[in-house]
Amino acid sequence: MVIAKTKPLEEIFGMIRSCRSLLIVGCAGCTALCLEGGPREVDGLKDRLGALCKEEGSPCRMEGITLERQCEMEFIEELDAIEGDYEAILSLACGAGVQFVAERYPRKPVLPALNTTFIGVNRAVGLYEERCRSCGDCQLASTGGICFVTLCAKSLFNGPCGGSHNGRCEVDPEIPCAWCAIYERLKGQGRLESLLTLRPPMAWKNGVRGLQVHEDFKDRYGR
Amino acid sequence: MNGAPLQRGVDRDKLKAMLRQKRRMRYFLSFCASCGLCAESCFYYRKHGDPRSTPAYKAVNTLGVMFSRKRTLSRDDLEGMKVLLWGKCVLCRRCYCPFGIDISGMISWARSICRAQGIYEDYRKSSRGL
Repeated sequence: MVIAKTKPLEEIFGMIRSCRSLLIVGCAGCTALCLEGGPREVDGLKDRLGALCKEEGSPCRMEGITLERQCEMEFIEELDAIEGDYEAILSLACGAGVQFVAERYPRKPVLPALNTTFIGVNRAVGLYEERCRSCGDCQLASTGGICFVTLCAKSLFNGPCGGSHNGRCEVDPEIPCAWCAIYERLKGQGRLESLLTLRPPMAWKNGVRGLQVHEDFKDRYGR
Repeated sequence: MNGAPLQRGVDRDKLKAMLRQKRRMRYFLSFCASCGLCAESCFYYRKHGDPRSTPAYKAVNTLGVMFSRKRTLSRDDLEGMKVLLWGKCVLCRRCYCPFGIDISGMISWARSICRAQGIYEDYRKSSRGL
């Protein structure tokens, strides 16, 4: 899922300083799961921002609402009836959600309350680990399910580098060496020959906007 | 709007206002012929085989109950719906109805109504949800 982190309160306040009315919009999708953008966090942010506004002498009327997801227009529609009453919208969604809300209300400032940090896993409640850089060319089949793009400090395609020491990374000894982990995993699976295949340089696609059309829907969208 | 999580009871005015807000939801409920054809489109039902996991069951026993018992519905009733609304549905929106009923729309609206009463899934308690 997408992991996000709430921006410092002062930064958020800086964005809304001149607003006299603000709609705080949570997202019950990924950011709720990582405890940053659900109804509870909307209420908490509303209280903290309200207190700060009062302290700074810039009163602002605030209301909170949480949508099912902000990455689907049908759910964003729920705001149509109320968004007109507010000067700005503060979104607790990932960057994609913020942009989709902004697209629906182009005349209204839509502000991000969170920093989208990574695609990760839920190790335990409140503990998230990055596992995917959405590079667009998944190599996990030949690395025993361990992503070197994400977990190797140098994102080395043909590792390990010379800095690996006792299974630790030279960048930070606290970090396990991804390529050592790959070696151990493949050894356990009897697939060490996978390491002998040289990987050509990646055609990095993160520089362009991602767009994906499911095979079954290509006719519908003409792509 | 988000309700206060600690409040007890039900904000009945808000409940009734939200039930009036999307008129099509009432029509959807009246159109449902209980044919059960939506069941096969639900991966959760297909995995567990429990009739209480079918999309129609989830919609009728949450949003349907909100409509039929809007005057007497208690907070415990709404809390009890969490199992169906969040525990047995991931809102993948793949449920199919031959009559064109927007079942996932009904479930998401029932979730919105619950959230407005301060009732929602608490992910702090467990990473696995309920």
